Amino acid sequence: MTEEPVLELRSVRVVYGGVLAVDDISLAVEPGHAVCLLGPNGAGKTTILRAVSGLLGFHGGRVVAGNVRYRGRDVTGAAADRLVRLGICQVLERRHVFADLTVADNLRAGAFARRDRRAVAGSQDMVLDLFPVLRERLRQQAGLLSGGEQQMVAIGRALMGGPELLLLDEPSLGLAPLVVADIAEALREVRTRTGLSVLLVEQSSAMAGAVTERSYLLESGRIRAGGQTADLLADDQVRSVYLGASA
Amino acid sequence: MLGVAIAAVALGVPFWVDGYWRTTFAFVVIAAIGALGLDVLTGWTGQISLGHAFFLAVGAYVGGYLGAHQGLSAALWIPAAGAAAGVLGAVAGPAALRLRGLYLAIVTIGLVYIGYYVLQTWTGFSGGPGGESLPPVTFGSWNFARGVTVAGHVFTRDQCYYYLALLLLVLAMLYVRNVTRSTLGRSMVAVRDRELAAAVLGVHVARTKMRAFVISSVLAGVAGALYGSFLSFAVPGDWGLVLSIEYVVMIVVGGMASLWGPVLGALFVVGLPALLQNVSTTLTFLSNTTSGNGLSPADAAEIVYGVLLVLFLLIEPGGIVGIGRRIGRQLAGRFARAGGGAGGS
Repeated sequence: MTEEPVLELRSVRVVYGGVLAVDDISLAVEPGHAVCLLGPNGAGKTTILRAVSGLLGFHGGRVVAGNVRYRGRDVTGAAADRLVRLGICQVLERRHVFADLTVADNLRAGAFARRDRRAVAGSQDMVLDLFPVLRERLRQQAGLLSGGEQQMVAIGRALMGGPELLLLDEPSLGLAPLVVADIAEALREVRTRTGLSVLLVEQSSAMAGAVTERSYLLESGRIRAGGQTADLLADDQVRSVYLGASA
Repeated sequence: MLGVAIAAVALGVPFWVDGYWRTTFAFVVIAAIGALGLDVLTGWTGQISLGHAFFLAVGAYVGGYLGAHQGLSAALWIPAAGAAAGVLGAVAGPAALRLRGLYLAIVTIGLVYIGYYVLQTWTGFSGGPGGESLPPVTFGSWNFARGVTVAGHVFTRDQCYYYLALLLLVLAMLYVRNVTRSTLGRSMVAVRDRELAAAVLGVHVARTKMRAFVISSVLAGVAGALYGSFLSFAVPGDWGLVLSIEYVVMIVVGGMASLWGPVLGALFVVGLPALLQNVSTTLTFLSNTTSGNGLSPADAAEIVYGVLLVLFLLIEPGGIVGIGRRIGRQLAGRFARAGGGAGGS
Protein backbone atom coordinates (compact mmCIF):
# COMPACT_ATOMS: atom_id res chain seq x y z
CA MET A 1 0.00 0.00 0.00
CA THR A 2 1.37 3.36 -0.90
CA GLU A 3 0.43 6.20 1.39
CA GLU A 4 0.23 9.75 0.18
CA PRO A 5 3.26 11.79 1.31
CA VAL A 6 2.67 14.46 3.97
CA LEU A 7 4.84 16.82 2.02
CA GLU A 8 5.77 16.70 -1.60
CA LEU A 9 7.75 19.20 -3.65
CA ARG A 10 7.52 18.85 -7.41
CA SER A 11 10.16 20.56 -9.53
CA VAL A 12 10.17 23.63 -7.32
CA ARG A 13 12.13 26.69 -8.41
CA VAL A 14 12.57 29.64 -6.05
CA VAL A 15 13.77 33.09 -7.04
CA TYR A 16 14.76 35.97 -4.77
CA GLY A 17 14.19 39.17 -6.74
CA GLY A 18 15.57 37.74 -9.98
CA VAL A 19 18.27 35.58 -8.41
CA LEU A 20 17.74 31.85 -8.72
CA ALA A 21 18.07 30.17 -5.31
CA VAL A 22 16.93 26.57 -5.86
CA ASP A 23 15.80 24.83 -9.01
CA ASP A 24 14.04 21.61 -9.91
CA ILE A 25 13.67 20.46 -6.32
CA SER A 26 11.56 17.35 -5.98
CA LEU A 27 11.32 15.57 -2.67
CA ALA A 28 8.81 13.85 -0.44
CA VAL A 29 8.27 13.27 3.26
CA GLU A 30 6.16 10.21 4.05
CA PRO A 31 3.78 10.24 7.04
CA GLY A 32 5.68 9.72 10.27
CA HIS A 33 9.03 9.86 8.56
CA ALA A 34 11.89 12.25 9.08
CA VAL A 35 13.92 13.64 6.23
CA CYS A 36 17.09 15.71 6.36
CA LEU A 37 18.39 18.26 3.90
CA LEU A 38 22.18 18.18 3.99
CA GLY A 39 24.57 20.48 2.23
CA PRO A 40 27.00 23.36 2.55
CA ASN A 41 26.10 26.97 3.27
CA GLY A 42 24.18 28.63 0.47
CA ALA A 43 23.01 25.34 -1.02
CA GLY A 44 19.37 26.36 -0.65
CA LYS A 45 18.33 24.27 2.35
CA THR A 46 16.70 27.12 4.25
CA THR A 47 15.05 28.35 1.05
CA ILE A 48 13.29 25.01 0.70
CA LEU A 49 12.02 25.24 4.28
CA ARG A 50 10.75 28.76 3.60
CA ALA A 51 8.97 27.56 0.48
CA VAL A 52 7.17 24.98 2.63
CA SER A 53 6.32 27.25 5.56
CA GLY A 54 5.26 30.29 3.55
CA LEU A 55 8.06 32.57 4.75
CA LEU A 56 9.57 33.26 1.32
CA GLY A 57 7.65 36.52 1.04
CA PHE A 58 9.37 37.90 4.14
CA HIS A 59 12.70 37.48 2.38
CA GLY A 60 11.63 38.76 -1.03
CA GLY A 61 11.44 35.28 -2.53
CA ARG A 62 8.80 33.44 -4.56
CA VAL A 63 8.11 29.98 -5.93
CA VAL A 64 8.12 30.61 -9.68
CA ALA A 65 7.79 27.04 -10.93
CA GLY A 66 6.63 23.69 -9.64
CA ASN A 67 4.42 23.22 -6.64
CA VAL A 68 4.39 22.37 -2.97
CA ARG A 69 1.81 19.83 -1.86
CA TYR A 70 0.84 19.21 1.76
CA ARG A 71 -1.37 16.18 2.47
CA GLY A 72 -2.36 16.10 -1.16
CA ARG A 73 -3.31 19.76 -1.27
CA ASP A 74 -1.49 22.37 -3.34
CA VAL A 75 -0.21 24.97 -0.87
CA THR A 76 2.28 26.73 -3.14
CA GLY A 77 2.53 30.36 -2.09
CA ALA A 78 0.04 30.02 0.79
CA ALA A 79 0.44 32.48 3.69
CA ALA A 80 2.47 31.37 6.69
CA ASP A 81 -0.37 31.86 9.17
CA ARG A 82 -2.66 29.61 7.15
CA LEU A 83 -0.04 26.88 6.89
CA VAL A 84 0.37 26.92 10.67
CA ARG A 85 -3.35 26.24 10.99
CA LEU A 86 -2.97 23.35 8.56
CA GLY A 87 -0.32 21.83 10.82
CA ILE A 88 3.04 23.02 9.49
CA CYS A 89 5.20 24.49 12.26
CA GLN A 90 8.73 25.75 11.79
CA VAL A 91 11.61 26.15 14.21
CA LEU A 92 13.56 29.10 12.84
CA GLU A 93 17.31 29.16 12.45
CA ARG A 94 18.88 31.05 15.38
CA ARG A 95 15.79 30.25 17.44
CA HIS A 96 14.04 33.67 17.46
CA VAL A 97 12.62 33.27 20.95
CA PHE A 98 10.75 36.23 22.46
CA ALA A 99 13.63 37.34 24.67
CA ASP A 100 11.54 39.53 26.99
CA LEU A 101 8.84 36.93 27.58
CA THR A 102 9.05 34.08 30.06
CA VAL A 103 9.56 30.52 28.91
CA ALA A 104 5.92 29.79 29.76
CA ASP A 105 4.71 32.73 27.64
CA ASN A 106 6.95 31.70 24.75
CA LEU A 107 5.39 28.25 24.82
CA ARG A 108 1.91 29.74 25.08
CA ALA A 109 2.66 31.91 22.06
CA GLY A 110 3.30 28.71 20.11
CA ALA A 111 -0.33 27.75 20.58
CA PHE A 112 -1.48 31.10 19.18
CA ALA A 113 -3.46 29.55 16.34
CA ARG A 114 -5.12 26.82 18.45
CA ARG A 115 -8.45 27.08 20.23
CA ASP A 116 -8.68 23.67 21.96
CA ARG A 117 -7.38 24.43 25.45
CA ARG A 118 -7.16 20.81 26.57
CA ALA A 119 -5.11 19.84 23.55
CA VAL A 120 -2.85 22.84 24.19
CA ALA A 121 -2.39 21.81 27.82
CA GLY A 122 -1.52 18.31 26.59
CA SER A 123 1.08 19.73 24.22
CA GLN A 124 2.63 21.74 27.04
CA ASP A 125 2.85 18.66 29.27
CA MET A 126 4.57 16.80 26.46
CA VAL A 127 7.04 19.63 25.84
CA LEU A 128 7.95 19.78 29.52
CA ASP A 129 8.37 15.99 29.59
CA LEU A 130 10.68 16.18 26.60
CA PHE A 131 12.69 19.08 28.02
CA PRO A 132 12.52 18.74 31.83
CA VAL A 133 14.94 21.64 32.26
CA LEU A 134 12.27 24.00 30.89
CA ARG A 135 9.93 23.05 33.71
CA GLU A 136 12.39 24.61 36.16
CA ARG A 137 12.78 27.67 33.96
CA LEU A 138 9.11 28.40 33.20
CA ARG A 139 9.08 31.78 34.99
CA GLN A 140 12.44 32.94 33.63
CA GLN A 141 12.93 35.36 30.77
CA ALA A 142 13.74 33.34 27.67
CA GLY A 143 16.48 35.78 26.65
CA LEU A 144 18.48 34.86 29.75
CA LEU A 145 18.63 31.14 29.02
CA SER A 146 21.63 29.32 27.55
CA GLY A 147 21.73 28.67 23.81
CA GLY A 148 20.69 25.06 24.26
CA GLU A 149 17.79 25.97 26.50
CA GLN A 150 16.65 28.64 24.04
CA GLN A 151 16.70 26.02 21.30
CA MET A 152 14.53 23.81 23.50
CA VAL A 153 12.13 26.74 23.95
CA ALA A 154 12.06 27.28 20.18
CA ILE A 155 11.34 23.60 19.49
CA GLY A 156 8.83 23.46 22.33
CA ARG A 157 7.10 26.55 20.97
CA ALA A 158 6.76 24.93 17.54
CA LEU A 159 5.39 21.74 19.15
CA MET A 160 2.80 23.82 20.99
CA GLY A 161 1.26 24.53 17.59
CA GLY A 162 0.33 20.85 17.37
CA PRO A 163 2.18 20.22 14.10
CA GLU A 164 1.77 17.29 11.78
CA LEU A 165 4.85 18.41 9.93
CA LEU A 166 7.70 19.91 11.92
CA LEU A 167 10.32 21.94 10.05
CA LEU A 168 13.62 22.48 11.84
CA ASP A 169 16.32 24.84 10.59
CA GLU A 170 19.75 23.95 11.98
CA PRO A 171 18.72 23.22 15.56
CA SER A 172 22.32 22.22 16.38
CA LEU A 173 23.73 25.64 15.41
CA GLY A 174 26.19 26.90 18.01
CA LEU A 175 25.42 24.20 20.54
CA ALA A 176 27.77 21.87 22.43
CA PRO A 177 27.81 18.21 21.27
CA LEU A 178 26.20 17.00 24.49
CA VAL A 179 23.32 19.45 24.09
CA VAL A 180 22.93 18.41 20.45
CA ALA A 181 22.61 14.81 21.61
CA ASP A 182 19.95 15.78 24.16
CA ILE A 183 17.93 17.64 21.56
CA ALA A 184 18.27 14.82 19.05
CA GLU A 185 17.01 12.40 21.72
CA ALA A 186 14.02 14.66 22.41
CA LEU A 187 13.20 14.86 18.70
CA ARG A 188 13.29 11.05 18.40
CA GLU A 189 11.04 10.83 21.43
CA VAL A 190 8.51 13.30 20.04
CA ARG A 191 8.36 11.35 16.79
CA THR A 192 7.46 8.12 18.54
CA ARG A 193 4.94 9.87 20.79
CA THR A 194 3.07 11.90 18.20
CA GLY A 195 3.93 10.26 14.89
CA LEU A 196 4.59 13.66 13.34
CA SER A 197 6.72 14.05 10.23
CA VAL A 198 9.95 16.00 10.23
CA LEU A 199 11.88 17.96 7.65
CA LEU A 200 15.26 18.87 9.11
CA VAL A 201 17.95 21.17 7.76
CA GLU A 202 21.32 20.36 9.27
CA GLN A 203 25.03 20.63 8.86
CA SER A 204 25.67 18.46 11.92
CA SER A 205 25.91 14.83 10.91
CA ALA A 206 25.28 13.82 14.52
CA MET A 207 21.85 15.46 14.53
CA ALA A 208 21.01 14.29 11.02
CA GLY A 209 21.98 10.71 11.75
CA ALA A 210 20.21 10.55 15.09
CA VAL A 211 16.89 12.02 13.98
CA THR A 212 16.27 11.15 10.33
CA GLU A 213 16.15 8.04 8.12
CA ARG A 214 16.31 9.64 4.70
CA SER A 215 18.38 12.56 3.47
CA TYR A 216 18.81 14.66 0.40
CA LEU A 217 22.11 16.23 -0.41
CA LEU A 218 21.93 19.75 -1.83
CA GLU A 219 24.55 21.77 -3.59
CA SER A 220 24.17 25.07 -5.43
CA GLY A 221 20.40 24.96 -5.36
CA ARG A 222 19.98 21.45 -6.70
CA ILE A 223 19.56 17.99 -5.23
CA ARG A 224 22.75 16.03 -5.90
CA ALA A 225 21.94 12.80 -4.10
CA GLY A 226 19.30 11.16 -1.98
CA GLY A 227 19.11 8.03 0.11
CA GLN A 228 19.35 6.57 3.57
CA THR A 229 20.85 9.12 5.95
CA ALA A 230 23.29 6.54 7.30
CA ASP A 231 24.53 5.68 3.80
CA LEU A 232 24.96 9.31 2.81
CA LEU A 233 26.81 10.13 6.00
CA ALA A 234 29.06 7.09 5.54
CA ASP A 235 30.06 8.18 2.04
CA ASP A 236 33.59 9.55 2.24
CA GLN A 237 33.10 12.03 -0.56
CA VAL A 238 29.94 13.41 1.01
CA ARG A 239 31.71 13.73 4.33
CA SER A 240 34.68 15.58 3.02
CA VAL A 241 32.95 17.83 0.50
CA TYR A 242 29.65 18.69 2.14
CA LEU A 243 29.97 18.25 5.83
CA GLY A 244 33.52 19.46 6.40
CA ALA A 245 35.15 19.15 9.76
CA SER A 246 31.92 18.58 11.67
CA ALA A 247 31.66 15.11 10.17
CA MET B 1 -6.79 55.17 45.10
CA LEU B 2 -4.25 56.50 42.65
CA GLY B 3 -6.92 56.26 39.97
CA VAL B 4 -9.35 58.37 42.02
CA ALA B 5 -6.65 60.98 42.60
CA ILE B 6 -5.80 61.14 38.90
CA ALA B 7 -9.49 61.44 38.00
CA ALA B 8 -10.00 64.21 40.56
CA VAL B 9 -7.01 66.18 39.27
CA ALA B 10 -7.98 65.64 35.63
CA LEU B 11 -11.53 66.86 36.29
CA GLY B 12 -10.61 69.71 38.61
CA VAL B 13 -7.63 71.22 36.86
CA PRO B 14 -9.51 73.59 34.52
CA PHE B 15 -11.02 75.30 37.60
CA TRP B 16 -7.76 75.81 39.43
CA VAL B 17 -5.68 77.44 36.72
CA ASP B 18 -5.82 80.56 34.60
CA GLY B 19 -6.65 80.84 30.91
CA TYR B 20 -3.07 80.29 29.74
CA TRP B 21 -2.89 76.94 31.49
CA ARG B 22 -6.45 75.94 30.61
CA THR B 23 -5.52 76.35 26.95
CA THR B 24 -2.29 74.43 27.46
CA PHE B 25 -4.01 71.53 29.20
CA ALA B 26 -6.64 71.32 26.48
CA PHE B 27 -3.81 70.98 23.94
CA VAL B 28 -2.17 68.35 26.17
CA VAL B 29 -5.28 66.18 26.30
CA ILE B 30 -5.93 66.54 22.57
CA ALA B 31 -2.32 65.59 21.82
CA ALA B 32 -2.59 62.60 24.17
CA ILE B 33 -5.36 61.14 21.99
CA GLY B 34 -3.12 61.36 18.92
CA ALA B 35 -0.10 60.04 20.81
CA LEU B 36 -2.12 57.09 22.05
CA GLY B 37 -2.84 56.26 18.41
CA LEU B 38 0.80 56.51 17.38
CA ASP B 39 1.75 54.28 20.31
CA VAL B 40 -0.53 51.51 18.98
CA LEU B 41 1.44 51.59 15.74
CA THR B 42 4.97 52.29 16.98
CA GLY B 43 5.00 51.22 20.62
CA TRP B 44 2.89 48.09 20.39
CA THR B 45 3.43 47.00 16.80
CA GLY B 46 6.95 48.33 16.30
CA GLN B 47 6.25 50.23 13.07
CA ILE B 48 8.02 53.57 13.04
CA SER B 49 5.87 56.23 11.42
CA LEU B 50 6.70 59.86 10.77
CA GLY B 51 3.41 60.33 8.95
CA HIS B 52 1.21 61.03 11.94
CA ALA B 53 0.86 64.73 11.01
CA PHE B 54 -0.75 63.66 7.75
CA PHE B 55 -3.55 61.85 9.55
CA LEU B 56 -3.97 64.69 12.04
CA ALA B 57 -4.39 67.04 9.09
CA VAL B 58 -6.91 64.75 7.43
CA GLY B 59 -8.96 64.77 10.62
CA ALA B 60 -8.73 68.53 11.00
CA TYR B 61 -9.74 69.45 7.45
CA VAL B 62 -12.38 66.74 6.97
CA GLY B 63 -13.88 67.74 10.31
CA GLY B 64 -13.66 71.41 9.39
CA TYR B 65 -15.21 70.87 5.98
CA LEU B 66 -18.14 68.87 7.36
CA GLY B 67 -18.63 71.26 10.27
CA ALA B 68 -18.37 74.56 8.42
CA HIS B 69 -19.49 73.81 4.86
CA GLN B 70 -22.00 71.06 5.55
CA GLY B 71 -23.10 72.51 8.89
CA LEU B 72 -22.99 69.15 10.66
CA SER B 73 -22.94 68.76 14.42
CA ALA B 74 -19.64 67.84 16.07
CA ALA B 75 -21.31 64.60 17.12
CA LEU B 76 -21.06 63.69 13.44
CA TRP B 77 -17.97 65.43 12.16
CA ILE B 78 -15.60 64.28 14.88
CA PRO B 79 -16.34 60.58 14.21
CA ALA B 80 -16.32 61.30 10.48
CA ALA B 81 -12.87 62.87 10.78
CA GLY B 82 -11.63 59.72 12.52
CA ALA B 83 -13.25 57.52 9.90
CA ALA B 84 -11.77 59.51 7.01
CA ALA B 85 -8.29 59.28 8.51
CA GLY B 86 -8.84 55.55 9.11
CA VAL B 87 -9.83 55.02 5.48
CA LEU B 88 -6.73 56.86 4.27
CA GLY B 89 -4.69 54.82 6.74
CA ALA B 90 -6.12 51.68 5.15
CA VAL B 91 -5.23 53.05 1.70
CA ALA B 92 -1.68 54.00 2.68
CA GLY B 93 -1.24 50.84 4.76
CA PRO B 94 -0.48 48.30 2.04
CA ALA B 95 2.43 50.39 0.76
CA ALA B 96 3.77 50.68 4.28
CA LEU B 97 3.39 46.95 4.96
CA ARG B 98 6.11 46.11 2.51
CA LEU B 99 8.66 48.15 4.42
CA ARG B 100 10.31 47.93 7.80
CA GLY B 101 12.21 50.16 10.18
CA LEU B 102 13.82 53.25 8.71
CA TYR B 103 12.42 52.57 5.25
CA LEU B 104 8.92 52.74 6.64
CA ALA B 105 9.81 55.96 8.48
CA ILE B 106 11.03 57.53 5.24
CA VAL B 107 7.97 56.51 3.24
CA THR B 108 5.66 57.89 5.92
CA ILE B 109 7.54 61.20 5.68
CA GLY B 110 6.42 61.12 2.06
CA LEU B 111 2.82 61.13 3.27
CA VAL B 112 3.43 64.37 5.13
CA TYR B 113 4.75 66.05 1.98
CA ILE B 114 1.92 64.71 -0.16
CA GLY B 115 -0.49 66.11 2.41
CA TYR B 116 1.28 69.46 2.40
CA TYR B 117 1.11 69.64 -1.39
CA VAL B 118 -2.58 68.79 -1.42
CA LEU B 119 -3.34 71.39 1.25
CA GLN B 120 -1.36 74.03 -0.64
CA THR B 121 -3.12 73.42 -3.94
CA TRP B 122 -6.64 72.26 -3.07
CA THR B 123 -7.75 75.72 -1.99
CA GLY B 124 -11.47 74.90 -2.00
CA PHE B 125 -10.84 72.39 0.78
CA SER B 126 -7.98 73.79 2.82
CA GLY B 127 -7.94 77.48 1.97
CA GLY B 128 -4.57 77.01 0.30
CA PRO B 129 -1.40 78.72 1.53
CA GLY B 130 -3.47 81.51 3.10
CA GLY B 131 -5.00 79.10 5.55
CA GLU B 132 -8.54 78.23 6.51
CA SER B 133 -10.82 78.89 9.45
CA LEU B 134 -11.88 75.71 11.16
CA PRO B 135 -15.29 75.62 12.84
CA PRO B 136 -15.86 75.40 16.58
CA VAL B 137 -17.34 72.29 18.13
CA THR B 138 -21.12 72.55 18.33
CA PHE B 139 -23.67 70.19 19.80
CA GLY B 140 -27.18 71.47 19.12
CA SER B 141 -27.43 74.83 20.85
CA TRP B 142 -24.03 74.40 22.52
CA ASN B 143 -21.34 76.29 20.75
CA PHE B 144 -17.89 75.83 22.29
CA ALA B 145 -16.66 79.11 20.77
CA ARG B 146 -19.10 81.07 22.94
CA GLY B 147 -18.75 78.90 26.01
CA VAL B 148 -21.45 76.62 27.33
CA THR B 149 -23.83 77.20 30.24
CA VAL B 150 -24.81 74.10 32.16
CA ALA B 151 -27.09 74.44 35.19
CA GLY B 152 -26.23 78.11 35.56
CA HIS B 153 -22.46 77.56 35.37
CA VAL B 154 -20.62 79.02 32.40
CA PHE B 155 -17.87 76.78 31.01
CA THR B 156 -15.28 78.77 29.06
CA ARG B 157 -14.21 77.78 25.56
CA ASP B 158 -10.99 76.11 26.73
CA GLN B 159 -12.83 74.25 29.49
CA CYS B 160 -15.33 72.91 26.95
CA TYR B 161 -12.58 71.64 24.67
CA TYR B 162 -10.68 70.24 27.63
CA TYR B 163 -13.60 68.18 28.91
CA LEU B 164 -14.63 66.93 25.48
CA ALA B 165 -11.04 65.89 24.75
CA LEU B 166 -10.79 64.27 28.18
CA LEU B 167 -13.92 62.24 27.53
CA LEU B 168 -12.60 61.10 24.15
CA LEU B 169 -9.19 60.36 25.65
CA VAL B 170 -10.72 58.13 28.34
CA LEU B 171 -12.75 56.28 25.70
CA ALA B 172 -9.65 55.90 23.53
CA MET B 173 -7.60 54.60 26.47
CA LEU B 174 -10.27 52.03 27.35
CA TYR B 175 -10.35 50.94 23.71
CA VAL B 176 -6.58 50.68 23.42
CA ARG B 177 -6.39 48.81 26.72
CA ASN B 178 -8.87 46.25 25.43
CA VAL B 179 -7.13 45.94 22.09
CA THR B 180 -3.72 45.39 23.64
CA ARG B 181 -5.11 42.67 25.91
CA SER B 182 -6.80 40.88 23.04
CA THR B 183 -5.48 38.43 20.46
CA LEU B 184 -4.81 41.40 18.20
CA GLY B 185 -2.68 43.00 20.92
CA ARG B 186 -0.62 39.86 21.40
CA SER B 187 -0.20 39.62 17.63
CA MET B 188 1.05 43.21 17.55
CA VAL B 189 3.62 42.53 20.27
CA ALA B 190 4.75 39.35 18.52
CA VAL B 191 5.17 41.22 15.23
CA ARG B 192 7.14 43.94 17.01
CA ASP B 193 9.46 41.59 18.92
CA ARG B 194 10.01 38.82 16.37
CA GLU B 195 8.25 39.26 13.08
CA LEU B 196 9.38 35.95 11.57
CA ALA B 197 8.61 34.01 14.73
CA ALA B 198 5.17 35.63 14.80
CA ALA B 199 4.56 34.42 11.25
CA VAL B 200 5.57 30.82 11.99
CA LEU B 201 3.31 30.82 15.04
CA GLY B 202 0.31 31.62 12.89
CA VAL B 203 0.06 35.40 13.26
CA HIS B 204 -1.15 37.10 10.08
CA VAL B 205 1.63 39.70 10.03
CA ALA B 206 0.26 41.91 7.26
CA ARG B 207 -3.26 42.00 8.71
CA THR B 208 -1.90 42.81 12.16
CA LYS B 209 0.16 45.75 10.87
CA MET B 210 -2.79 46.92 8.82
CA ARG B 211 -5.12 46.98 11.82
CA ALA B 212 -2.55 48.84 13.90
CA PHE B 213 -2.18 51.35 11.08
CA VAL B 214 -5.93 51.93 10.89
CA ILE B 215 -6.42 52.24 14.67
CA SER B 216 -3.52 54.69 14.77
CA SER B 217 -4.95 56.76 11.91
CA VAL B 218 -8.46 56.90 13.38
CA LEU B 219 -7.17 58.25 16.70
CA ALA B 220 -4.98 60.73 14.82
CA GLY B 221 -8.01 61.86 12.84
CA VAL B 222 -10.07 62.46 15.98
CA ALA B 223 -7.20 64.28 17.66
CA GLY B 224 -6.60 66.32 14.50
CA ALA B 225 -10.27 67.35 14.29
CA LEU B 226 -10.20 68.62 17.88
CA TYR B 227 -6.78 70.23 17.43
CA GLY B 228 -7.84 72.09 14.29
CA SER B 229 -11.10 73.21 15.80
CA PHE B 230 -9.37 74.41 18.96
CA LEU B 231 -6.78 76.30 16.90
CA SER B 232 -9.75 77.68 14.89
CA PHE B 233 -7.44 78.58 12.01
CA ALA B 234 -4.76 76.53 10.29
CA VAL B 235 -2.30 76.88 7.43
CA PRO B 236 -0.76 73.92 5.55
CA GLY B 237 2.56 74.47 7.33
CA ASP B 238 0.95 73.58 10.66
CA TRP B 239 0.84 69.92 9.59
CA GLY B 240 4.49 69.44 8.73
CA LEU B 241 7.16 66.97 9.68
CA VAL B 242 7.85 68.77 12.96
CA LEU B 243 4.37 67.87 14.17
CA SER B 244 4.99 64.21 13.34
CA ILE B 245 8.28 64.28 15.20
CA GLU B 246 6.62 65.87 18.23
CA TYR B 247 4.28 62.89 18.42
CA VAL B 248 7.17 60.45 18.17
CA VAL B 249 8.88 62.36 21.00
CA MET B 250 5.69 62.12 23.06
CA ILE B 251 5.54 58.33 22.95
CA VAL B 252 9.29 57.92 23.44
CA VAL B 253 9.46 60.31 26.38
CA GLY B 254 6.27 58.98 27.92
CA GLY B 255 7.25 55.35 27.53
CA MET B 256 6.23 53.17 24.61
CA ALA B 257 3.70 50.35 24.70
CA SER B 258 2.05 51.56 27.89
CA LEU B 259 -1.36 53.08 28.41
CA TRP B 260 -0.14 56.11 30.35
CA GLY B 261 3.05 56.71 28.40
CA PRO B 262 1.44 58.72 25.58
CA VAL B 263 -0.52 60.82 28.10
CA LEU B 264 2.56 61.63 30.17
CA GLY B 265 4.52 62.23 26.97
CA ALA B 266 1.91 64.70 25.76
CA LEU B 267 2.13 66.47 29.10
CA PHE B 268 5.91 66.71 28.71
CA VAL B 269 6.03 67.77 25.06
CA VAL B 270 3.13 70.22 25.16
CA GLY B 271 3.18 71.25 28.80
CA LEU B 272 6.88 71.72 29.48
CA PRO B 273 7.55 74.29 26.71
CA ALA B 274 4.49 76.19 27.93
CA LEU B 275 5.90 76.15 31.44
CA LEU B 276 9.33 77.25 30.25
CA GLN B 277 7.84 80.06 28.16
CA ASN B 278 6.02 81.17 31.23
CA VAL B 279 9.00 81.23 33.56
CA SER B 280 11.69 82.31 31.08
CA THR B 281 10.39 85.89 31.05
CA THR B 282 11.22 86.07 34.73
CA LEU B 283 14.72 84.64 34.34
CA THR B 284 16.68 87.74 33.47
CA PHE B 285 20.01 85.91 33.24
CA LEU B 286 18.57 83.89 30.37
CA SER B 287 16.71 86.59 28.56
CA ASN B 288 17.81 90.12 28.06
CA THR B 289 15.89 91.35 25.11
CA THR B 290 15.91 95.01 26.00
CA SER B 291 19.66 95.39 25.46
CA GLY B 292 19.52 92.99 22.51
CA ASN B 293 22.44 90.81 23.60
CA GLY B 294 20.56 88.04 25.38
CA LEU B 295 18.30 85.23 24.35
CA SER B 296 14.66 85.92 23.77
CA PRO B 297 12.41 84.16 26.28
CA ALA B 298 11.12 81.90 23.53
CA ASP B 299 14.63 80.86 22.46
CA ALA B 300 15.72 80.31 26.04
CA ALA B 301 12.70 78.11 26.64
CA GLU B 302 13.41 76.04 23.54
CA ILE B 303 17.04 75.52 24.50
CA VAL B 304 16.15 74.44 28.03
CA TYR B 305 13.48 72.14 26.61
CA GLY B 306 15.98 70.56 24.20
CA VAL B 307 18.56 70.00 26.92
CA LEU B 308 15.97 68.46 29.23
CA LEU B 309 14.83 66.16 26.44
CA VAL B 310 18.36 64.91 25.77
CA LEU B 311 19.11 64.44 29.46
CA PHE B 312 15.85 62.67 29.97
CA LEU B 313 16.43 60.10 27.25
CA LEU B 314 20.02 59.53 28.39
CA ILE B 315 18.97 58.89 31.95
CA GLU B 316 15.74 56.97 31.43
CA PRO B 317 15.26 55.35 28.00
CA GLY B 318 12.07 53.71 29.31
CA GLY B 319 10.39 57.09 29.49
CA ILE B 320 8.35 58.59 32.30
CA VAL B 321 6.51 55.28 32.68
CA GLY B 322 9.93 53.64 33.10
CA ILE B 323 10.73 55.94 36.02
CA GLY B 324 7.38 55.08 37.58
CA ARG B 325 8.06 51.35 37.22
CA ARG B 326 11.51 51.73 38.72
CA ILE B 327 10.10 53.53 41.76
CA GLY B 328 7.35 50.93 42.01
CA ARG B 329 9.85 48.07 41.99
CA GLN B 330 11.97 49.69 44.67
CA LEU B 331 8.95 50.33 46.89
CA ALA B 332 7.78 46.75 46.34
CA GLY B 333 11.27 45.48 47.18
CA ARG B 334 11.37 47.56 50.36
CA PHE B 335 7.93 46.33 51.45
CA ALA B 336 8.90 42.75 50.66
CA ARG B 337 12.09 43.06 52.73
CA ALA B 338 10.22 44.71 55.59
CA GLY B 339 7.50 42.03 55.46
CA GLY B 340 10.06 39.21 55.22
CA GLY B 341 12.04 40.62 58.15
CA ALA B 342 8.94 40.85 60.32
CA GLY B 343 7.96 37.30 59.49
CA GLY B 344 11.42 35.94 60.16
CA SER B 345 11.98 37.50 63.57
